[in-house]
Amino acid sequence: MKDAVRIQSDDFSQDEEILALKASSRRMGGIATFVGCARDFSEGREVAEISFDAYGSMAVSEMNQLRSDAIAKFGLLDARIVHRICTVTAGDNIVFIAAGAEHRVAALEACRWMIDELKQRVPIWKKETTPQGVAWVVPHP
Amino acid sequence: MIKVLFFGPVVERIGKNALEVGYRPGMTLQALRDELALHYPQAFEIVCFSAVNGQHVRDLALPLADNSEVTFMAKFSGG
Repeated sequence: MKDAVRIQSDDFSQDEEILALKASSRRMGGIATFVGCARDFSEGREVAEISFDAYGSMAVSEMNQLRSDAIAKFGLLDARIVHRICTVTAGDNIVFIAAGAEHRVAALEACRWMIDELKQRVPIWKKETTPQGVAWVVPHP
Repeated sequence: MIKVLFFGPVVERIGKNALEVGYRPGMTLQALRDELALHYPQAFEIVCFSAVNGQHVRDLALPLADNSEVTFMAKFSGG
């Protein structure tokens, strides 16, 4: 079985990730997922492609800590976080987050919390290629 | 020797993704940052976070050990 926390260049399978999550507990009654994907438009500009850079070892370490924090904070049964580090175009998957809990509220709140925290804590940067040139993305809420 | 790593937008402003700085006993993270910022002011305009050996560090008074791996990073934009 694949690790619950990964960075990888290849695409991920949401079905496989959810199956792995469900396999961790028969008590799971609610699963919330978030998939971040590439857009073809950002900040008023068309985007041809997005590429990523990461401090790989620290990113995985922070994502593992983030998963542990979410499990403790929301009483989750399990959680998974996968982030791609590669070049993507519109519609391609970038990040997958899943939270599994006994009930829906904890799963939904934990999923939202994890993606918000990931953006704050995990050393990954994205660069957009547009008709105006190539630029690193300035984060916004 | 202190190994300093750079990523993403900071690499673009420094022109390389790593460099080495001689270790001095008593050297702090702040002293290293100040030294590098003198040479690469444009890069350090966007530095928001620091890490030592892969761990976030918010107290720049942290003394560095020889052979530490230090990173000065711009705001993250993953996800």
